[in-house]
Amino acid sequence: MPDLVDPLLRRLPLQFRVLCRQFLLRVIDLEALSVKADVTAFLGQFSGILIMFSLILSARAVMSSPTETGETLFFLTTLVVGLITVVTWDSTFPDRRDILVLAPLPVKPRTILAAKITASSAVIALAVLALNALPSLAVCVSLGPGYGILRSFAAFWIANLALVLFLYASVLTLQGFAALLLPRRIFLRLSALLQILAFAYFLCSFFMLPAIPVIVMALPIAHNLVAFTPTFWFYALCLQLNGVLPTSLTWLATRAEIAVALSTAGAVTSLLLCYLHTLRKTIEEPDLVPAARGSHRTLRFGSTLQTAVLLFSLRALTRSRQHRLAFALYLSIVCAIAIGTIKFGIMVPAPHPLTQDFLLNTILMMSFAVIGLRSVFSLPISLNANWVLRITQLRPTPDYTAATRTCLLLLAVAPVLVATAILSSTFRPLHEVAAHLLILLLIGCLLAELSLIGFYKVPFTCSYLPGKSNVQFVFWGFLILFIPLAMKVVSLEIRSLKSPLQCLCVTGLLLATLAALRAFNQHQAKSAAIHFEELPVEVITTLNLSVK
Amino acid sequence: MLELCSVSKLYAGIPAVDDVSFCARAGEVTGYLGPNGSGKSTTMKMITGLIDSTSGQIFFNGRPIHDDLIAYKRRMGYVPEEPYLYNHLSAVEYLTMVAQLRDLPAKESSACIDGMLRIFGLYDDRHASISGYSKGMRQKVLISAALLHNPDLVLLDEPFSGLDVGSALILRSLIQELAARGKVVLFSSHELDTVERVCSRIVILHRSKLVADDSIENLRTLMALPTLEAIFSQLAVEQDTDSMARDIADLIHA
Repeated sequence: MPDLVDPLLRRLPLQFRVLCRQFLLRVIDLEALSVKADVTAFLGQFSGILIMFSLILSARAVMSSPTETGETLFFLTTLVVGLITVVTWDSTFPDRRDILVLAPLPVKPRTILAAKITASSAVIALAVLALNALPSLAVCVSLGPGYGILRSFAAFWIANLALVLFLYASVLTLQGFAALLLPRRIFLRLSALLQILAFAYFLCSFFMLPAIPVIVMALPIAHNLVAFTPTFWFYALCLQLNGVLPTSLTWLATRAEIAVALSTAGAVTSLLLCYLHTLRKTIEEPDLVPAARGSHRTLRFGSTLQTAVLLFSLRALTRSRQHRLAFALYLSIVCAIAIGTIKFGIMVPAPHPLTQDFLLNTILMMSFAVIGLRSVFSLPISLNANWVLRITQLRPTPDYTAATRTCLLLLAVAPVLVATAILSSTFRPLHEVAAHLLILLLIGCLLAELSLIGFYKVPFTCSYLPGKSNVQFVFWGFLILFIPLAMKVVSLEIRSLKSPLQCLCVTGLLLATLAALRAFNQHQAKSAAIHFEELPVEVITTLNLSVK
Repeated sequence: MLELCSVSKLYAGIPAVDDVSFCARAGEVTGYLGPNGSGKSTTMKMITGLIDSTSGQIFFNGRPIHDDLIAYKRRMGYVPEEPYLYNHLSAVEYLTMVAQLRDLPAKESSACIDGMLRIFGLYDDRHASISGYSKGMRQKVLISAALLHNPDLVLLDEPFSGLDVGSALILRSLIQELAARGKVVLFSSHELDTVERVCSRIVILHRSKLVADDSIENLRTLMALPTLEAIFSQLAVEQDTDSMARDIADLIHA
C-alpha cells in the first residue's frame, strides 16, 4: 500500500506536503491524548475505538436490526464528525502564529490554506471510514438482495458523505463569516463560545434525539423533530437514493440537497474571503489593545495560597484552548448523562421515586467531573513560567495539596452537586433526595481525595510525559471495571435510602473513609516536595554496588 | 551580605560553574559579567535556590540559604534572564497572584501593583493578556513582581533586556536607589556601559571560572586599561571579533 501511495504523494508540491504534515500534528493536541505523542499512534488509537464501535454495530446489523443500525450510523457520524470539527475548531483557518511564521517565507497563502483544510479533513475522513466501513457493508448485506446490495451501499455512502460535507462546511461557513465580520478580539471570544455551543448541539443531537422508524417519521407528531434535525434529512436522502423513501417524506431529502448546496457555497465563499481578506486582517490586527474593563479585586477562597491557586486554575481552564477542550471532553460526558436524566424526567410524570438509573447517572457525572478535572490538571500551561512558583514557594506542601483540593471541590464537585439538586427536583420523597445529595457530596469528596494521592503539584504547572495516557486502555478499563462498581454502589445506596439507620451507616462509613484518606494525604504531603517536572522512569537500573 | 564559597555546578560531569567564590554586600551594586555560556545564569539560579550546587555553599547574612530556604525566598526578589510569564493572565492578575503566593496583605499589595503599573506605563494595558505584551512590557512585569515584597536581596539577570530608553533610565536609577537603601543587589548584564555606571564592584566569569572580582576603579588601575569594555575584552573575549565578522560575511558570499 505505501508503495502505491508514496509516489502519488510525492507528486504533490513539497511545500504543501510539509505544511500538511505540520498542520496535521497540530490538529489535535497530541501530547494530551496520544501514546508517545505521535500522530500515527494517536490516529491509530482513535480509529481503534471507532472500529470497535463499528464492529458492535456490524454485529447488531447482521443479527437483529439492519434498518435501525443504518439510521444509528447517521447519528453516530453526526456526533463523531461534529465533535472532531469542534475539537479542531481553531485549526481550521490559519491563525496568527501560522501567518507570522510563514509570511516571511516564500509560501503562497493558498498553499497554507489548502494544507490547513487538507489536514483537518484528513482526520474527519479517517474517522468516517473507521466508523462506517464495516457496518455499512453489514447493513447492506443484511437488508438482502431485495434492496440491491450495491445500490444500498452506494446510497449509504453518498448520503453519509453529504452529511459529513454539510457538517464540515457549516462549521467553516460559521467560522469564516464570524472572522470576517467581527473585530478579531470579539471573534476570538465569540469563537470560544460558538465552539462550546457546537459541542453541546452535537451531543444533544445524539443523546436527546431518538432514532425513529420511517413510518413514525412520516407522522405529524414527528414533523418538527425531523424537520429541524439535519441527520434525518440525510437519512431520508439515503432512503430516497435507495428507492424506499415514502413520497410524503421527499421534502426531507430535498432539504438535505439544499443544505449541502448552501453550506458548500458558504464554505467556498468563506475560504475565498479568508484568502482575500481575513489572512491580511489577522496579521494587521494590533498585538495589544488596551482593555479598560476588569477588576483589580478578587474574591477570597480560604488562604491567599488557595485563592491564588484556584484563580490560576480557573483562568487556565477558561482561557487556554487546550485545557478548555480537554476538560470539555469530560464535561461533555457529564452533560450527556445529565441530558439522559432530563429525558427520563420529561418522559415520566412527576413526582417520581428515586431510581437506580438516576443515582447511577449522578454518580457517573460526579466521577467524570472529578476525574476529568484531575486529568486536565496534569497538562501544563507554560512550563517556562513555573520559576515564579518555585521562587514564591513559601509554604509547606500540605498547603498546596489543600489548595488543589479546594480547586477540585469548587470546580468539579460543587457544580455537579448543584446540577444534581436541580435534576432531582422532580423526585420524591425529599428526605431521600437530600440523603442522596449528601452521599453524592461525600463520594465527590472521596474521589477528590483519591485523585490527590501522589499529586504533589500545583495544577497546570508540572511537565507531562507524553505516552502516559493510553486512550483505549482507559476507555475500555472504564467500561469494564468502573461502571459495574458504580452499579454495585448504587444498589447499596438505594437500599440504604429506605432505612434511616442504614443511611446513617453508609454516611458514617463514607465520612470515616474520607477522614482516613484525607489524613493519609496530609501525612504523605508533609514529607513530599512540590513537583514541577515529571521524571521519566529510569531505563537503566542502578544497583548501587560499590567496591570498598 | 550574599556570599558564594567555592560554588560549582556540574552537568554530566562538565562544569557550568567551577569553584566560584565572591561576595555581594549590602549598599553596593555588584555586577556579574561574562560571555554567553560562561555560567552567569546558572549561578543566578543557584543563588535563587532554583537549582542546587554540586559543591560549595551560598550564604545570605551568614546563614546557608538551604538552612531555611523559605525564609530566604521571602527576602529575595529575582528578575530572570528570559521574560517567561503565564500568558493566559493579565499583568494585574499575574502580579496579584505573586502577591498572594507571597502572602502579602491584599490592600497594600493592590496599591503597590497599581503604582508599579502606573510608573512603568502598563496601567492602561493592565487587564490585557500578557500574551500580547512586548518583551519590554514583560520585563516591566517581571521587575514589578520581583520588587513587590520589598526584598533585601535583589537578583537581576539581564534586567534591561527589551526595555525602552525611558524605562531603562528609571531602572538604572532604581538599582542605585535600592542599593543606597541598604539592599544587596546582584546585577548581571552584557551592557558594559550600564554596568560601569551602576556597579561599584564587578565579578567576571569566563569559561565557568572566576577571572576578576574587584571594584572597577581597582581593575582599571591594576590592568592599566581605560574602560570596563577593554578590561572585559582582555579577560573574557578570546576571539578576534573583526576576523570573525569577515568570516561570516565570506560564508554567505556577501
